[in-house]
Order: sequence, then structure tokens, then C-alpha cells
Amino acid sequence: MQISPDLLFTIAGFPITNTVVTTLITDVILITLVLIVGKSVALKPGKVQNIIETISDYFRETTESIAGERASFIYPWVLSFFLFIVISNLVAQIPGFESIRFHTSSSGHHGVALFRAATSDLNLTLALAVTSVLATHCLSVKHTGIKSYITRFLTFKMFPIFLFVGILEFVNELAKFISFSFRLFGNIFAGEKVMATMYSLCPFGLPLPFIGLELMVALIQAIVFAMLTMAFMHIMTDKSH
Amino acid sequence: MEIIQKFGLETKLFLFQLINFLIIVFILKKFLFKPLKRMLDERKRKIEQSLQDAENAKAALENAGEERKKILADAKVGADKLMASVKASADETKEKTLVEAKSHSQQIIEEAKNKASAEFENMNKQIGKMSVDVSSKILSKVLSELFTEEEKQKLMSRALERIDEKITN
Repeated sequence: MQISPDLLFTIAGFPITNTVVTTLITDVILITLVLIVGKSVALKPGKVQNIIETISDYFRETTESIAGERASFIYPWVLSFFLFIVISNLVAQIPGFESIRFHTSSSGHHGVALFRAATSDLNLTLALAVTSVLATHCLSVKHTGIKSYITRFLTFKMFPIFLFVGILEFVNELAKFISFSFRLFGNIFAGEKVMATMYSLCPFGLPLPFIGLELMVALIQAIVFAMLTMAFMHIMTDKSH
Repeated sequence: MEIIQKFGLETKLFLFQLINFLIIVFILKKFLFKPLKRMLDERKRKIEQSLQDAENAKAALENAGEERKKILADAKVGADKLMASVKASADETKEKTLVEAKSHSQQIIEEAKNKASAEFENMNKQIGKMSVDVSSKILSKVLSELFTEEEKQKLMSRALERIDEKITN
């Protein structure tokens, strides 16, 4: 079973894989959304603006209810993660998405899939995890101060209990990279494989409930990633923690 | 290392995805969330303003109602006062007119009485005069046959004096 994305071609030594193509499609969709809503943002919202406003309001209110005033700098990150992940997940749910083939020199008779869910590439999910964790730490330094930030991991108060707790915290932060990236990657990759299996077993009717399931997974994983980022940002920017 | 290869982890792809996502975050923040937040704040401000205006209008309406009630009450009090004064004045005028009419009629009656008594006196005098004349004529006719001219004159003058006395009394 191949886990890594398929290489389509290279541009000046840079490998273009099918997940990179899907990432670019996600970018185009997001930028189009920004152009449609951002340019014509009005007091009386249109249909697209209404949808974006509803999502934005939901995340802002949820962040405000948890982080209070700090929601102003936390929720843009949360919303960015959600929009990027949900769009890249949903794009991959379009029927026949993976059936468009691309012939490469190394591919066989059937070629390789031109598109593949961007979040089924560990490079992307790891990049998202690194962004989330680094942004959280940057915000922590900015809003709690460098001294408070360091004492989270290194303190000699009540030696050696808090020193041990600090080491645990540090390990916890490292584990976040793995948990964030593999959770999203695993769910979407597994979904893809389940769908492929269902289509190969019986292409008529059988995949239908799984399409519903995958749509739910696509949405839930995006929410989980965004909410966890919000929770960690709230914890790390809270001075009392 | 084998695991990394198996999962297809590659520095170039990882950096591409990282930078790509950061650019997307930047674009979203600058061109979507900022204008959206500005607009939401503006909408919030407008809604608050509208609610405040509605509240003010309601208060103004209530005040206008109070004012109306007050004006009506004042007008009613004024009208009542005016009505009372008009009634009092009408009563006074009626009273005055009645008194005047009474006195006037009294005066007319008095005048009529005086006129009647004067007329009666005048009549009396005329009757007296006439009766003196008739008596003198009767007496002169009767006496001319019984007395001499001198006696007649004395009797007549005495009789006439008596008549005059009676009349004057």
C-alpha cells in the first residue's frame, strides 16, 4: 500500500505531487472566496458572505467564550486552519476526484491519480501541525512574556516536582506535532482507502453511506484541528497557567 | 528513515506546504477577516445606533403622549374656568338685568300712578269747576226768583266759597 503521494512531474527540481496540485486548488478556492467576499463585503450580506459570516461568527463566539479578550488574535488562526482544512477535505470528496489519471514515465498503464486529498499527505498535515504549534508558542511569548514562557518548561520551584512537570510539558509540546499531523493524515488517508475499497467491492449504492461518513469526517477533522489549536493557544497565552 | 520515506516526507514539499499555508493565513487575515471584522463592527454600531434611535423615538412618543395629556388637561381646566366665569357673568348679567327691569317697571308703574293721580286730580278739579258752574247757574236761576240782586250775590258767593272749600279739601 502506497502512503506517500504520487510524483507527477518536477519543475526546476521541485517535485509536483498530486497532493501539491490539490493544495493549489484549495488555494485557488480560498483566494476566490477572499476576492468574492473581501472585495464586496457589505452591511447587507450576500449568500457567500452570509456563509462566511456564519462560520466566522461561530468560531469567534466559541473562542470568545473560552479565551475571552484574547479571542481577537486567536480566532483568525483558528478560522484559517478550519477553512483551509475543510476546503481541502471537501474538495477530495467530489465524486470521481481521484479517477482522473496522469501518465508519468514511471507510472504503469493506468497512470497515477492527478488529484489526491491534500490532507492525505503527511507533508501538509505536518506543516499545519508545525504552524499551529509554532504560532501558539509565538503568541505565548508575545502575550505572557519570555520569562513566563520559559518557566513553563524550566523552573526550580518545589524542586524537583515542577522541573519534572516542565519536562513533561516539553514532551507534550513535541507530541503535539505527531498528534496533530497523524490524526488528520490518518483520518483522511483511511477514508480514501475505505472509499477505494467500497468502490472496488460494489460501485453502485455501497459507497453511498461511506460518502456521508467521509463528508462528516472531513468536517469533524477540520473542526477538531481548529478547536485544538484554539484550546492550546488559550492555555499557552493564559498567564495563570 | 525508512518510515519517513514510506510516508513520503520530503523537506521541499514540507517547506512548500508550510510557506503556502502561511501565505494563505496572511491573505485570509488581511483581505477577509479584517474587512469582515470592520464590517461586523460597523453593523454592530449601526444596530446599536438604530436601537438607541428607536428607544429615543419611543421615549419621545411617550413624552408627546404625556404632553398631549397635559395640554388636554390644561385646556380642560381652562375651559372649565372659562365656563364657570361665563356662567357667573351670565348670572350676574341676568340678575342685573332683572333688577334693572324690576326698577324700570317700578318706575314705569310709579310714573303711571303719578300720571293717573294727576289726571284724577285734574279731572276732579274740572268736575269741581263744572259743578261750581252748574251750581252757580242753578242757584242763580232759583235765587233770581226768590231773592233780590244783593241777597243773591251774597248767597252765591257764600255758596261758592263753601264749594271751593270742599273742593280744596
